[in-house]
Amino acid sequence: MTHAAGGSVRPDRPPRRPRTLGIAAAVIAFSLFAAREVGFDPSTFWEVWSNPLWEKFWPIPWDWVTDGSNVMGPLIETFQIATISTILGCSLALPVSFAMSSLTTPNRPTYLVSRAVMNVVRAVPDLFWAKLMVTAVGIGAFAGSWALTIFSLAVMVKLFSETVDGADPGPLEAARAAGGRHTPSVRTGMLPTVFPDYVAHALYVFELNIRASIVLGLVGAGGIGRVIEAQRQFFRFDRILGMLVIIFVVVFVIEQASVALRKRLV
Amino acid sequence: MTATTQRPTPPRGARERRGALAVVLVVAMVWSLSGLEVTLDRLLGAPGDAWAILRQMVPPAFARVYERGAVGKVFESVYIAWIGTVIGAVLSLPLAFMAAHNVAPVWIRVPIRQFFNAIRAVPELILAVILIPITGLGPWAGTLAIGIHSIGTLGKWATESIESIDSGPIEAVESTGGRWVSSMRWAVFPQVMSTISSYWLFRFEINVRASAVLGMIGAGGVGSELVSHLVFRDFPAASAVLVFTIAVVLTIDTASAAVRRRIIRGGVGRPDEPSRSGEALADLTGIRL
Repeated sequence: MTHAAGGSVRPDRPPRRPRTLGIAAAVIAFSLFAAREVGFDPSTFWEVWSNPLWEKFWPIPWDWVTDGSNVMGPLIETFQIATISTILGCSLALPVSFAMSSLTTPNRPTYLVSRAVMNVVRAVPDLFWAKLMVTAVGIGAFAGSWALTIFSLAVMVKLFSETVDGADPGPLEAARAAGGRHTPSVRTGMLPTVFPDYVAHALYVFELNIRASIVLGLVGAGGIGRVIEAQRQFFRFDRILGMLVIIFVVVFVIEQASVALRKRLV
Repeated sequence: MTATTQRPTPPRGARERRGALAVVLVVAMVWSLSGLEVTLDRLLGAPGDAWAILRQMVPPAFARVYERGAVGKVFESVYIAWIGTVIGAVLSLPLAFMAAHNVAPVWIRVPIRQFFNAIRAVPELILAVILIPITGLGPWAGTLAIGIHSIGTLGKWATESIESIDSGPIEAVESTGGRWVSSMRWAVFPQVMSTISSYWLFRFEINVRASAVLGMIGAGGVGSELVSHLVFRDFPAASAVLVFTIAVVLTIDTASAAVRRRIIRGGVGRPDEPSRSGEALADLTGIRL
């Protein structure tokens, strides 16, 4: 091939390597197998529109939805769960995160154990924690708060310990070089540097908790999900849709406020 | 008193800000505790109750749970997550090209972005609640719920990565007279595909956890196993299910993180890279040696 002919010659395509094709074939084969296992049924996509159940979604019964005790009460309970769990989880996360960062850990065993434990805690999905807590301490918002506290702790230590890992070690070294003991050194040499990130991560965890707390009630852990579960059993999808609209608006407002606050912090 | 022992004065306003933060936190705590039916004996009793259950969970009844097919249920969760991710990826990719501000006109971009936001606002579980009466109980309901929800996040991430590309190749294609589709295919697609496919894998990791949860309301997967064991207070079985789930979740996280790293960095090994096995260990345990 020559390029002398005035640039009208196409460059050669990079060759397709057999390994790339092999990987693609394996991915497609696995997808086909998995699709069969989950009962993949593309007809749902069009048959869904002719489903008689859709009539049950409309019209939205606004007088039921706006009646304070039906939606707003449980929704406030939901936000109370999210708030207390964020505060407790993020407070607990502060010392644990410092233990989990190689810069600020007091000693090697603490570092290894806290990392391993937190990784296992994070591998358990949030609603599994909720169900476990419901079984342990009984149905209601109390169980939900415990579950979300654990969930917040697990997420927060991941985010914040990575921030600490990436922080400037200079002030901490200075504090240690001046003979500071471990805790005061971390408190004065590291905490001020990373505190704005800590607050920003805490607000992010609060946003996650607001979302997670909405569904807690589906497993009996309190909040608005309990109402959704009850209405679902009566096939009152119109009421569920109305609730979703309210939830959507309130969550959107809270999130925008939190995002604006986070942008100012970092 | 010499000057060297004198402490520098703290920055102005720091004390007031700290005070305000403390007041806000205390008020928030009191307000939220007021609604949660917390009594002192409940609070003091909770760790004891949790400990009592934890003690019954050891040792886990692996053999009994295995015979009931719990491992198959864990894999069903994985299949649900995979197909959900595939559905989300396939549907979100073209939409993302229509939502990025550097390649799409405003009249199509704005509605699609709002569509992504609206989808992201509805949790998978709520989607499943709505879908179950339509599709019936079973894994397909969970798959659809995860697929639909994934469109929102995957679309948003893909849009953001399209918006951060180098515009040079687009100009090059346009200057040769290429149409919109050609510039997407030859200028944008090669730049974003590695990032976007690593987002797909990341979403798959999240979806594995989500699909495990979906089983709790009957949308297929391992959640139903956990719920039924906990309802009958069969704690050894429940803990065995938990251990199976954790093992699969951690394995998938590790494998997926390794593949993602490889996609982003490319296949060429560099001498300054830490060993792959070391990184895999770090993914699995969170411990960086």
